[in-house]
Amino acid sequence: MIEVKQVAKRFDSFTAVHDLTFRVEAGEVYGLLGENGAGKTTTMRMMATILQPTEGDIEISGYSVRRDPAQVRRRIGILFGGDVGLYNRLTARENIAYFGSLYGLAPARLQERIDSLSRLLDMEEFIDRRVGAFSRGMKQKVAIARTLVHDPDVILLDEPSTGLDVTTANMFRRMVSRMQEEGKTILFSSHNMGEINKLCKRVALIHKGRLRFAGTLDSLRQRFGLDDLDDIFMAVVEGSGQ
Amino acid sequence: MGRHIIWTVLRKELLDLFRDRKTLLGTFLVPLVIIPFVFFLLGMSYSNVEKEARAYVPIAIQGASGLVAALEKIPGARIVQPKQPEQSLQAGELRAIVTIPPSFDGRIRAGGTAELTVAYDSTNQKSLYAKEVIEQTVKAYSQEIVAERLRHAGLSEKAIEPIVPTFQNVATEERLSGGMLAGIIPLMLVVSLASGGVAAANDLVAGEKERGTLESLMTAPIAANHILTAKLLAVMVMSTMSAMASLVSLSLVLSIGPLDMDGAGFSLGFFSPATLSVLILTILLLSALFAGLELVLSTIAKSFKEGQTYMSGIIFVAMVPSYMLMPLNPVDIPRYYYVLPVFNGVALCKEVFYGKVDPLHGLIGLGTTLLYVAAIIALTARLFRREGAVIKN
Repeated sequence: MIEVKQVAKRFDSFTAVHDLTFRVEAGEVYGLLGENGAGKTTTMRMMATILQPTEGDIEISGYSVRRDPAQVRRRIGILFGGDVGLYNRLTARENIAYFGSLYGLAPARLQERIDSLSRLLDMEEFIDRRVGAFSRGMKQKVAIARTLVHDPDVILLDEPSTGLDVTTANMFRRMVSRMQEEGKTILFSSHNMGEINKLCKRVALIHKGRLRFAGTLDSLRQRFGLDDLDDIFMAVVEGSGQ
Repeated sequence: MGRHIIWTVLRKELLDLFRDRKTLLGTFLVPLVIIPFVFFLLGMSYSNVEKEARAYVPIAIQGASGLVAALEKIPGARIVQPKQPEQSLQAGELRAIVTIPPSFDGRIRAGGTAELTVAYDSTNQKSLYAKEVIEQTVKAYSQEIVAERLRHAGLSEKAIEPIVPTFQNVATEERLSGGMLAGIIPLMLVVSLASGGVAAANDLVAGEKERGTLESLMTAPIAANHILTAKLLAVMVMSTMSAMASLVSLSLVLSIGPLDMDGAGFSLGFFSPATLSVLILTILLLSALFAGLELVLSTIAKSFKEGQTYMSGIIFVAMVPSYMLMPLNPVDIPRYYYVLPVFNGVALCKEVFYGKVDPLHGLIGLGTTLLYVAAIIALTARLFRREGAVIKN
């Protein structure tokens, strides 16, 4: 479970997030919608304890990011989009094993997790090759495995399908569905409305750091009187100045 | 748990660094390629000039005397008569012009003093060599005349040499070879310690920040201080390895290179246990000091490129004290140098290579360096833990 409570984040005179409140239930795939610069990544970084909220608090599985950052980190797995943050000079296996060790996985358990994720993500062919020469899709698979190696309860996916080809994006969506079946709590940030429509039932829509809507996709459509999510998104963006 | 994390991160950092050609080049290029290359080049150049200077010594002699026969016996000497001797000397075709006045032999025979002139070019190494051998020949010829005059006067040669001083050099063998080593090795050692960790430090924070890996790392349930400790140790390993490579490389070049300095290299047997301990501690503390400083710059830098720009100043921090102390004997090093950062390390290295470390200097030098290391690590930790320090933008 993720609970965002009246969170604000300021960098000097610039406010990236204003008074943000929403709640993701345990076992739910929740969408965090917004255009680039809306405050999605800042919110994710606060959840991952890399940034601290200026106001308010975030609770992950009952632990506060302010008071118990170490407990929060143990329970989350975060995947940043764009730059996938892998060590190019290490092999896929070494990348995953490194993070597994940092999460305190015993060698036998780590080996088991790497083998299982390698099969699941279809990485067996390139698991022992250095990441530097991988395609974007291959790198994203390794990054997903690294995010999941310690089997976290809460998974934060920040624009995870950016730059992926159709096949890898589809594989990724199947992966998210599978994780949901396993009871994981997933927060999925994206500006791809089609992807959100396929994966999430409930969303929070933020624009310029402010929450514009939080609820089910159906109620979102009803509220804006539009059926297409892209149209709703544009209506929010264009109406922001009003 | 903390030690396990530090070891895990350190092992990964070293594996990553050793697979990076750029880092390896930055760490080992200076000690393993540039030092031997420069020394070989210098050595070859000097030995070639010397060889040529000895092999062929063209001298023009104006005038006649019994001295000419002695000059002709100089090894490699060729007596030549160019049309315009001064111009030939300027052009380097001639090494020296000996002008003997007509009254030269007469004055000598009369028991007086005869003068002669030797023209040479002080900007030409080969001409300087010719001047040196002519001077020696004239001196020997002059001594023969003095001996002859003394015999005629019924005096012993000892009559003009009432005192024979004996000079005893108190420098030990360690100090004799150390004197040369103490000039150049602290410079190479400190510069290698500073330059050896630059590429690694820049890659481990600024580089990781740029590639997004540091942000991922900081989401793991590990303390920032443990990550920083591992990174500091990784930079220290690279910088110490670079310094060791410099020492070995320099030692090999000096002992087997073309500079003809047999015995100038050193081995562990050169040091007493006490001086060796001081050397090891100095190297470790200096590598920690430079590693801390480099990590500060790497943490401040927003990108790898910005990090490279900041790091370019590091080399001056190492070179200024090294050059300032290079010509000084340890006894001439001012006391306050032993409390100045880097200066104290260079001063201790000089004492080590002179074979004798003053315990007070050792205590002050190592103690103050330890304080500087603690301060720089505290600053690095503060910057590293600062919110947003690990994020690219």
